[in-house]
Amino acid sequence: MLVMGEVHTGLLQNSGEISESTCRQVLGITAGETVRVSRRPIVHALSPERLTGVDCTLPAASRSRVRGVGTVVSRCAVTGGRVAQGSSYVRVVRSEADRRLPWSHYLARPGVVEVLGKAKAADLAEGFTGDPTPGSPDGACLNLGAVSGRFLDLVQASPLLDRRAPFKIPRTSLRWVAETGEPSIRFTLHTEQERTLRLTHPGPFTPAVVDLCEDLATHDWLLTSLLVIVERARIGTTPGAAAVARLAPAIDHLLHLWMPAARVEEWLTPFWDSLERRPGFTRQWRSLVDRVRDQVAVNTLALLSASAETGRR
Amino acid sequence: MLVFAISDKGGTGRSVTGTNIVYRHALQGNDVCYLDYDFGSPTAGAIFSVSGVARGTRQNGLHEYLRGECPQPRRVDVWAESDREGLRTRPPGAGRLVLLPGSEGGGELSALTDEIIGRCVQLFGRLEEEFDLCMIDVSAGRSFTAELVLAATVRMPAVPFRWLVFHRWTRQHIIAAAGLVTGADGLLDVGTRFGHDADDLRDRIRYVRTAVLEPDSAELVGLRDEQRAWLSACDSELRELAGRHSVGRTAMLGKIPLDPVLQWREQLITDEDVLASKIANAETAAAFDELAKKIVDDNAWEGL
Ligand SMILES: Nc1ncnc2c1ncn2[C@@H]1O[C@H](COP(=O)(O)OP(=O)(O)O)[C@@H](O)[C@H]1O
Ligand SMILES: [Mg+2]
Repeated sequence: MLVMGEVHTGLLQNSGEISESTCRQVLGITAGETVRVSRRPIVHALSPERLTGVDCTLPAASRSRVRGVGTVVSRCAVTGGRVAQGSSYVRVVRSEADRRLPWSHYLARPGVVEVLGKAKAADLAEGFTGDPTPGSPDGACLNLGAVSGRFLDLVQASPLLDRRAPFKIPRTSLRWVAETGEPSIRFTLHTEQERTLRLTHPGPFTPAVVDLCEDLATHDWLLTSLLVIVERARIGTTPGAAAVARLAPAIDHLLHLWMPAARVEEWLTPFWDSLERRPGFTRQWRSLVDRVRDQVAVNTLALLSASAETGRR
Repeated sequence: MLVFAISDKGGTGRSVTGTNIVYRHALQGNDVCYLDYDFGSPTAGAIFSVSGVARGTRQNGLHEYLRGECPQPRRVDVWAESDREGLRTRPPGAGRLVLLPGSEGGGELSALTDEIIGRCVQLFGRLEEEFDLCMIDVSAGRSFTAELVLAATVRMPAVPFRWLVFHRWTRQHIIAAAGLVTGADGLLDVGTRFGHDADDLRDRIRYVRTAVLEPDSAELVGLRDEQRAWLSACDSELRELAGRHSVGRTAMLGKIPLDPVLQWREQLITDEDVLASKIANAETAAAFDELAKKIVDDNAWEGL
């Protein structure tokens, strides 16, 4: 029917970036299973996948009660030794039975949630990506964000991290729905930290779609965070040196991490391309980066001419 | 940085002082949040003038979150949701100012379970990622809430935290504040039982005197000489008493003068209250401002 997932992204709670081998240890949450690492064009480490059993209502825009039983797949990732993620998703399918089956049945289908009774894909997609209905914090409803958040917590609480992150910054969450059909992509900003993505792709679902969503989430977080840091610097209203001091953490820790579509399979790159046209992630990123570098340059010039001045006197 | 605000008695000015410190810290350009863990009397909403949560929130309050009844506690953006005109726009250069209200009619925690401690650890960990300062109003006296945060901080050894003990400048309050820290079942006692190092924990605790009437303050100008002399003698007696109980100058982070506005109403003191309407004293605002700086100034927290 459809696939839904949620990615939470945040700044790894460490003073500096961590090495590839530390990444492996931080993400090797269960001994014996290996962490997958790719090195080019940026070090990206992905934890083994874990399953969480669920038997709960699924979010439906019509607010009809749809029961789903199965397992959620989750994993953690660290990009560039600096950006941490917790990511979960489920493939929602119709159950062939009209009642709950033994757990062995669901465990044999990792990442699949079977819907008992009637449900429409569009209703679920709307329910999952729409604004949560006010006054229904329903704890019994599928909450992929809670699962992803906990996986991100696991990474952040690793004893290998010193928890002295160079700046404070909120996590962002990207809730996504993927379906098969005529290709289209829609990325929406909700509150300061919440985003949704509706994706229709040709051909059947593969885990490469999850990679795409995680890649988008990483870059959206980078962009969001750089915007916050630039805003905090109050360029133009604070003295140049103070503004540059506030921009420094971005230069040290974020600017080199921008690698859009680096881990996206060939057949999915058109989706990134389309987001590059509108809303234009890289365009906005570049203009911010230029702004940061210009500030540094202007401030350096000011310092140089000031010291030349004192030299002459 | 997590900062726990506690006092031995209710009505000492813990909430009013804590919220004002947090407000000043936000004005100084930091992202801050205030957690109302005073489950028996969650009044922080009223002090921030957010009428919808004046006595806590009906849904998704901290109490519910800790009991596992909601996935995340509600957050109130004070700059957006305050009813006070002077608070409703974020001043240029100010950081975020977020309130996590308690649950309306929630009641004190009646037990401490491993699940509750786990949820508390999760919440502190996440907030510490995004806020420069998280102030937690731990309520008055020895409570499960105090035990909860002592247990939680043991589980997150790399997360920095500090304690502020609020007390008034009277015999009873000085003795009570000292007892809350060093007495039986006090912070140090319970803290070490949960696994804190006593010396390390002691170094993280400072006292804040509230509603202090200085013998030379403007409020006392009309007093007779005899009265002033008597007050002066009282004050030195209290200073001597405080020193003997290790609540003296070295262990004190700051003091807030008695302010007519705060005596009449629990509220934030804005610069407008001082400069435009002139209802509050400039010294009060300055004292909050200084405390807001000292709270993160390592020099003020060197080992005693
Ligand atoms: N500096 C001060 N000057 C005068 N009154 C104060 C001062 N600080 C607090 N108060 C008043 O003392 C009372 C108790 O304060 P509150 O913060 O509610 O105490 P607690 O949280 O410790 O119970 C309130 O009426 C408050 O306005
Ligand atoms: Mg109070």
